[in-house]
Amino acid sequence: MSIELDAFRTALDRWLKEQAEALVPRQPTITLDAQMAQLAKVKRLTYDAGFMRRGWPEEVGGLGGSPLLRAYLGEALTTLDLVEPGIYSMTETLAPTMIDYAPPELAADMVPRLLRGDETWCQGFSEPGTGSNLAALTCRALRFDDGWRVTGQKVWTSLAQYSQRCVLLTRTGTLDSAHHGITALFVDMDSPGITVRPIATMHETPEFCEVFFEDVEVPFDRTLGEEGQGWSVAMDLLPFERSTALWHRGAHLRRRLQDLIDIVPDGSLDPVQVGETVELLTALRARSRATQYRLAAGERLGPETSVDKVLVATAEQAVFDLAEAGLAPDVLLGDDPTGSHWRSEYLFSRAATIYGGTAEIQRNIIARRLLDLGKDH
Amino acid sequence: MEAAEFELFGTTLRRATDAHTGAALDSALAELGWHEALADDARSAVPLLFAHQGGAGATSSALDDVIVDALGTDAGWGAAVVLPGLGRWEPPARLDANRVVVHGLATARLLRSETAVVAAAGAQGENSSVVRTAVVKTAELTRRPVSGMDPWFELVEVTGAATPVGPTAALRPGTWSAAVTRARLAIGYELVGASAAMLHLARVHALERVQFGQPISAFQAVRHRLADTLVAIESARALLGAAWEDATDETAAMAKAVAGRAARTTARHCQQVLAGMGFTAEHSLHRYVRRVLVLDELFGSARSLTAALGREVLERRQLPPPLPL
Repeated sequence: MSIELDAFRTALDRWLKEQAEALVPRQPTITLDAQMAQLAKVKRLTYDAGFMRRGWPEEVGGLGGSPLLRAYLGEALTTLDLVEPGIYSMTETLAPTMIDYAPPELAADMVPRLLRGDETWCQGFSEPGTGSNLAALTCRALRFDDGWRVTGQKVWTSLAQYSQRCVLLTRTGTLDSAHHGITALFVDMDSPGITVRPIATMHETPEFCEVFFEDVEVPFDRTLGEEGQGWSVAMDLLPFERSTALWHRGAHLRRRLQDLIDIVPDGSLDPVQVGETVELLTALRARSRATQYRLAAGERLGPETSVDKVLVATAEQAVFDLAEAGLAPDVLLGDDPTGSHWRSEYLFSRAATIYGGTAEIQRNIIARRLLDLGKDH
Repeated sequence: MEAAEFELFGTTLRRATDAHTGAALDSALAELGWHEALADDARSAVPLLFAHQGGAGATSSALDDVIVDALGTDAGWGAAVVLPGLGRWEPPARLDANRVVVHGLATARLLRSETAVVAAAGAQGENSSVVRTAVVKTAELTRRPVSGMDPWFELVEVTGAATPVGPTAALRPGTWSAAVTRARLAIGYELVGASAAMLHLARVHALERVQFGQPISAFQAVRHRLADTLVAIESARALLGAAWEDATDETAAMAKAVAGRAARTTARHCQQVLAGMGFTAEHSLHRYVRRVLVLDELFGSARSLTAALGREVLERRQLPPPLPL
């Protein structure tokens, strides 16, 4: 394992150095459009050089090997500030779902497009009435002779405005069928009847959207898993959000903390707060590292990844709390790119305990599943 | 150790720490092969013993063995060692002319031993970073058995000056830091063991204690305290494991700090969940609360280690190198 990883690391690091000029952003990646263009470029280059294909099965255009290689690739790219980790790591959530649940020929056709950066996909889970309470979703998919017809609304759908496809959770059972009556579909975003409306956010990056479905036709062969198996699809997907993707975010946070330490004026940070943040990031890395190795060993990830998620959310807010404290004039008053950048990232960090399952939901999972405290009130 | 051997040794240690404490535990450990395990495979032996010792709330002089082993002195198993004082990690003595001036702590073994190993900062004129080990007669020192916050710990305060028995030996550079690192890892595991025990007590209580017609474990306020406790313990455990792997003094210091902070978090949440029950002397919680406060201070507290780390990062403007994947 480590021989494979070491060889990959050496080859990748050398390639990244050689290709530095081609890989760096042509313009500052402040806007989401620029970030998406940069992401597509980096994915394409790393795919064509073979690095992006390592750690993925051959059936979906990969070159095989340990998922640890994916962890290292994302770490290297985020540490060099070549990609924004949130949008980069969506592959880590969506590709495994396709591999596990899509009809094999569909996965073989689609996953390479995602890996190569030819396409962007989104994840249609949350709805206006169901944020944390996912099992209560109401977006309907009804059976017709020729396929599903979907009507309903999704919200907080990241990158929907850029997406060619959507992994969509729909209600196919009765309205009170809870988690038994959910089916996952793979939907073409250019299907007639889909309307996407980006939502303005406090960090000035409209990365998520409302998505409206009105009688949208989806062929039966676009069903992920069996009818009624959507809850399993979702439950298997969520730990992926808390494994490789989270390793990448940890690397990004480290990079940002180093960026901050590089420029912060003398005496503007409390050493105890700095020390605690470094410890938190290191503990997160130790914990997430163990998760990467469990994933690589083929272990099924589950509720224990909620511990990783609590740690990363805590670390993210700690890093940007420091940034706000140490760079107050930039964060609060700066209108140049430096100020805008730190401000945007600081504000985004406020969502770390909200997106991908709130801090409260993670603690509920830990209490119920890891501490076995029984049902809550 | 192979998996089966590891498990068996763990069970044996657990039985010993559950049944004995103090001198009796030292004897039991000597009999079951703790010294040999420490010499052959510290990576397995130290986490196992100290986590069980912490979990049982037991005490022993195994920390002396860990330090003697790391210092590589020829003092032999069973030697007593002087530990740094509360919150400190420098050598607990200094050489003054041909006297060793001691200010430190010790486990109860020092009361039973005629001699003790003590690390001392170099004499005047010598580079102050040189650390020497001396063997001293314990009768020449003032030894005060400590009751204090945790009488069951059986700590001893050691002060005074003594004449070394035989010549002192200069340690190779880095040896004292390596011993500090080993001690921190051992204590880190003891903190994690004690924290896990507190969490267990609080969890059982939450499931059994009925209020408003249901177990208090059904209330989110209680559940989230216990969830935060588990997160704290698991992050300490992960960092301790990483510290063994990367074998740097820096990661071990972080792991000790995180374990100390996790134990304080655990004590706070579990005390609150156990409420009145956990405040009585009849319940065992208070023994753990007392123990972790003292353990946190040995070889540097969470607060002091964290402050030192933060100062160093700011001064060098450089984060410590990342743990490798």
